[in-house]
Amino acid sequence: MKRRTGARGFGVAAILIWSLVPIYWAIKTSLQTEADARAKPAHYLPTNATLDNYATLLTGDSDVPAQIRQSAVNIVVECGAATIVTVLLATLAGYAFARMRFRGRNVLFYAVLATMAFPAYTTLIPLYRIMSTFGLVNTYTGIVLVYVSGFLPLATWILHNYFASLPVGIEEAGLVDGARRLQVLWHLLLPLARPGIISTALITFLFAWGQFLFPLVLSSDLSTQPLTVVIASLQGRHVVPSTLLNAAGVLAIIVPALLALAFNRYIVNGLLAGSTK
Amino acid sequence: MLRTGRRMGTARWNAALMAGVTSLALVLAGCSGSGPGDKQSSGGSTQTSGVTITVALASDPPPKAALAAFTKDTGITVNWVNIDWDSLQSKISAAATAKTYFADATNVDWSRVGQLGKLKWFYPMDTYIDTKAMEADVPQLASFTVDGHVVGVPYDASFMVTTVNTELFQKAGANPAPKTMDEYTEALKTIKAKGVLEHPLNIPFAAAEGLSTYWYETTGAFGGTVLDKDGKPQFTSPDSPGYKAAQWMVDALKTGLVPPGNINVTDSQGQQNLMAKGQVASTFSDYSGNVGTLYNIKASSSVVGKVKYLPTPGASGPAANLSNPDGVGIPKEAKYPNAAAKFIEWFTATEQQADFAGVNGPEKTFATYPIPSHLSAVQQMVAKGNLVGGKDLEPMLKGSKPVFEGGAPSWYPKFSNAVYTNLHAAATGSMSVEQAIKTIGDTANQLASGS
Repeated sequence: MKRRTGARGFGVAAILIWSLVPIYWAIKTSLQTEADARAKPAHYLPTNATLDNYATLLTGDSDVPAQIRQSAVNIVVECGAATIVTVLLATLAGYAFARMRFRGRNVLFYAVLATMAFPAYTTLIPLYRIMSTFGLVNTYTGIVLVYVSGFLPLATWILHNYFASLPVGIEEAGLVDGARRLQVLWHLLLPLARPGIISTALITFLFAWGQFLFPLVLSSDLSTQPLTVVIASLQGRHVVPSTLLNAAGVLAIIVPALLALAFNRYIVNGLLAGSTK
Repeated sequence: MLRTGRRMGTARWNAALMAGVTSLALVLAGCSGSGPGDKQSSGGSTQTSGVTITVALASDPPPKAALAAFTKDTGITVNWVNIDWDSLQSKISAAATAKTYFADATNVDWSRVGQLGKLKWFYPMDTYIDTKAMEADVPQLASFTVDGHVVGVPYDASFMVTTVNTELFQKAGANPAPKTMDEYTEALKTIKAKGVLEHPLNIPFAAAEGLSTYWYETTGAFGGTVLDKDGKPQFTSPDSPGYKAAQWMVDALKTGLVPPGNINVTDSQGQQNLMAKGQVASTFSDYSGNVGTLYNIKASSSVVGKVKYLPTPGASGPAANLSNPDGVGIPKEAKYPNAAAKFIEWFTATEQQADFAGVNGPEKTFATYPIPSHLSAVQQMVAKGNLVGGKDLEPMLKGSKPVFEGGAPSWYPKFSNAVYTNLHAAATGSMSVEQAIKTIGDTANQLASGS
């Protein structure tokens, strides 16, 4: 028993080190001057810690800080809009699949789920053509639509499981009292499903935040490029100090990291929705 | 009851419609392919005035004044998009595959010329520009020619060079100008033995393109080439230059000449973080122009004035430098191919390159521009003393040769992938040099035979 606990502790420690050390190193580097960051032997703690790199990114008027700020706005707009649209559509679809009886319901539901089995990249070229045909390349709308099409199946599945787990009696009572379907959904079920909706929104937002290839292909310039794409484009440039690059990286992970830490319970519940009776 | 039943029926239908439309959109998004009715941009407009073209390159834009002057002269406005090299290649492939416009002029890398030529993703530049007239003055045009057509016009003269931090070499009492590989290796060992640096040599062993090009240059230094004209491997025998080069590189890591951490260091990381910071004394396969654009820039370097170009040490004397220039071409989906051609003609002209290179004053200088592709522009730079290490670089440029005799084969990306993954594996010790070379050779044979 003791040996098992020891092995488990070792495994957990190894995973934590593997996952957290690169993030720690990025944060440490972002808090140093270029000279300190390059010092040999390396400092494992930030010596002469400074927030200068963050100040430069947030207030600097040169090319790189301006790009970081614009791309930060872009990523918030794109992920925020994609999350709202996805949750809205997934709520309606999830409810319909969970509660309503209509011909072909199961076929449609499994067809939706089946789209999750497609490797996302196989849809890249067709989606690019569709967006191009409709003049949506390099627009917020185009990127948001692609995110929605990508994340809607998972969101629908999570919310379907959530709605399916709610007692039918509440809904029937509402209908007996003369409420319409949408009224029942809005006034009775949505408050109960709020944890599921929050977890769906979080999962969608986090997935959207981490996107790289799709926005890379679907955006052409800084007007729509999200932070993930812009940071990658800075990497090969000689003139961008590594400390500044690390500060940009930390800014890119800080939003999803805070969300994940603050709403960890919702995310886990969302992913486990429907797994137990 | 009736009302409820009807309402339930309607609601059921609405729900079905709602779920159906959602599902259909999802399925269509997943399954849509190219149909004959799809609207695509092709052919493009011949308009050359009053238009805005998009130029996508892995480079900062040229000076605003230069672009404004171009617009004033031609009526063509340039929307410059700077995308890192790897991402740009993904965009080029995605746009060409989807037959979708993304730029009017974009990067044509030397390593993709064979592939791009075969796929016909770019317009032949010789239909727009008199490339024949350029041949004598642009030695690297050969690297962009496939089946007699020029796929892109080189806008810089990037080639691989050896750089040395002379101060560190001298501090150790090592020969700062070795002419042969033996002398060079001995000098590095001296630096290590004297304790000036624990790991004096930069080799980027990360599994990436930079490792492949390093091996090609080292193979050239050992007196050979990687592939023959038919794409057959020339490196499988242990006494072949390619084999010796791979062995030399891996041995350099194992004997501590190369920092152990370089196993995950890419070419640009090694140049920026090691060479530019004085943490190594030499990069055998560096990029021409790095002294002027990186090592001598105070903001990014702590070795200003200390790094020099070295005629590439060879088996028995200085070896040829292999060229890896960047070109610019016109994708088939360009909206304004003729306007893009005008831009390319302007962007790659001798006079413009001389301006970019700082021959005619700092206000016309393109800060991150490496070395002009026109010999005449390089000569102007050397004459005016504008080219850092110009006297060393000019003969190297003249003598530079393509990495592959017959041009980069169309299957080059797969070959390069085999090169860097297997050399990386040999460096990590998960396979021997012999096994790595055998696997790379087998891949080349397979690809060359078309299987």
